[in-house]
Amino acid sequence: MNSNPMPYRKASSVTWVSMLARLMALAPSIIFLALLVYLAIAAPNLLELSTLNLILKQSIPTVIVCLGLATVVMAGGDDVVSGGIDLSIPATAVLCAAIIADQLVNHASALPWALALGMSAAVVMGLLNAVLVVLIGMTPLLATLASSVAAIGISKVVTSSRRINVDDSFIIFLRDAQIAGVSVAVMLTAILALIFYVAIHRTRWGMHLQAAGGSRDAAETSGIPSRRLLGQAFFLAALAGGLASVFVLARGSGSTPGSEENLLLEMVLATFMGAAFSPRRVVTLWGAVLGAVLVSLLSVGFKSVGVDVFWTGCIKGALILLVVASAAYSNKLAN
Amino acid sequence: MSDSISSVWRNALIRYGLVLLIAGFFCFFSLYTDSFLQTGNLMNIVEGSAILLILALAMTLIVTMGGIDLSVGIALDFGAAFAIVAMKQYDVVWYLAVLIAIGGGALIGLLNAFLVVNLSVSPFMATLGTFFIGSSVQRIFTNGGGPISFRRVDQSYRDLAVGDVFGIPTEVVIATVVLIVYFVVLERSILGKRMHAIGLQKSAALVAGIKVRHYLFAGFVFASATCAIGGVIGSANLRMFTPLAGYSYLLDAIAAVFIGAAIHPLGRPNVPGTLMGVLFLGMVANGLNLMGLDFNTKDALSGVILVVTLALTVVQKRLR
Repeated sequence: MNSNPMPYRKASSVTWVSMLARLMALAPSIIFLALLVYLAIAAPNLLELSTLNLILKQSIPTVIVCLGLATVVMAGGDDVVSGGIDLSIPATAVLCAAIIADQLVNHASALPWALALGMSAAVVMGLLNAVLVVLIGMTPLLATLASSVAAIGISKVVTSSRRINVDDSFIIFLRDAQIAGVSVAVMLTAILALIFYVAIHRTRWGMHLQAAGGSRDAAETSGIPSRRLLGQAFFLAALAGGLASVFVLARGSGSTPGSEENLLLEMVLATFMGAAFSPRRVVTLWGAVLGAVLVSLLSVGFKSVGVDVFWTGCIKGALILLVVASAAYSNKLAN
Repeated sequence: MSDSISSVWRNALIRYGLVLLIAGFFCFFSLYTDSFLQTGNLMNIVEGSAILLILALAMTLIVTMGGIDLSVGIALDFGAAFAIVAMKQYDVVWYLAVLIAIGGGALIGLLNAFLVVNLSVSPFMATLGTFFIGSSVQRIFTNGGGPISFRRVDQSYRDLAVGDVFGIPTEVVIATVVLIVYFVVLERSILGKRMHAIGLQKSAALVAGIKVRHYLFAGFVFASATCAIGGVIGSANLRMFTPLAGYSYLLDAIAAVFIGAAIHPLGRPNVPGTLMGVLFLGMVANGLNLMGLDFNTKDALSGVILVVTLALTVVQKRLR
């Protein structure tokens, strides 16, 4: 086929390597599929409509924080240390949830006031991250790690490290309401994901944002303000964290200290796993959403098969490594 | 005339801004609380910083080579767990238990090194994965995170934390030995020069004939083994293994390295700078304690101070 004649041995070895590279790149998807098939056989009720609805509902906070992280990664490039990464989104979500729960329960505030206070905390977090990364020039990893510690610290002050049960009618509505068998919260999340999609893939701003992440130098040369876009992405990500907080409250019927760790694990896993599903192996919005749903499916699936909850964390950690290792390894082979 | 004076001031601020900040905190705590400046309390700060110093030195090594290690806390936990379990269930002599602990920490390093060097995963993702798996393994092993205590631990083991050598607390002596080893290796040997070269530009180091993969592999294993020493001290102090205790040191260890790098003329991670960063963080924690704040407020305040300090270090580095 190839017009360029090559010695037989070399050609075959090249094909063999590129085949292996392709196989390695597919490995995460194959293993996921295998896990899904196993779970579907071991727990047949996993694929019933009500279970699927539950899985989607469980995945909502992760989906929303993933939208935020995917935006930051797309704006800052996919180098995990110096590019775009925001580890503070789960902390923002937990901080906002703490503030909203505290206002509703301990101060008997009206819902709009509580939500406004919670969202303003998200705004502050977004501005803080943007200032630290864009104006001051801190490494995003370090900046968001530090700001997340501060946010968790403040959320502990707000809640005195205690759980706060919330029985506000709006939160309960988000938890329980269904239209035609589909949870309202799931629909709202789908709408939010669509808004993100339109903003990032269908507007000039979104195109610039993606260009900035693709190559900062090229973007700057063609007049795109990549630093400002990165700042906006951090701001948007914090807002996503703020929105996720409402669903964190709905999912847990209140605010629980320490829930950020699992959210962080699922967010990183889902977003970077999503990259394995994209043709170019880059972080995408839909990849991240699909990843978040799959992670939730695995969590629910493992639980219904009777796997110890502590093992689930171990399996998720191993999956992260598997995904990134296979991507890195197939890159190496391809080069 | 006035111009040159103001530029002198400006240069001094840029060069010593962080040192001034540290001095400022020192003065504030000295004036605000009665007991801060007493010799006993200053010794407390040094003693309380021993474990953090050990972890921060390990982190310095990895950051010097251009990586980051999010699993230092896990290596510490594994060190503590291996030592306590070895002594409690297998009646191992205490000094063997220390070696076993270091081996346990090195296991974490081996996993990191394999992922980073052999599978070319970025250090961040690799050590994050190790962190999650390591945390989970501890939960599985302890049925959800209950501590394993061993009250009748050998007194010699206990003395690693609470004893003293010629009046100096043993943990301070151990941390000082680790400090000297790291100082000699990183700052005064050809090994250290090569590690800096790897961190500055990997491809150039490779071209220059440095065995980058060997150094990275050995570096990750050595760093995690070092962290296990911190675990030994911690478990000797409490006479128990507390699962997931190492996590609380992670951000402080990273912060100490970056604060130290800000003090360095070239902005590179370095051992004396890390020592200063650790003492600064120890001082802030101690001072906030003495001010009588409750646990949660203290946590939040130290988080905020951390963000501000890190931001200042970066500003200082950029102005230079």
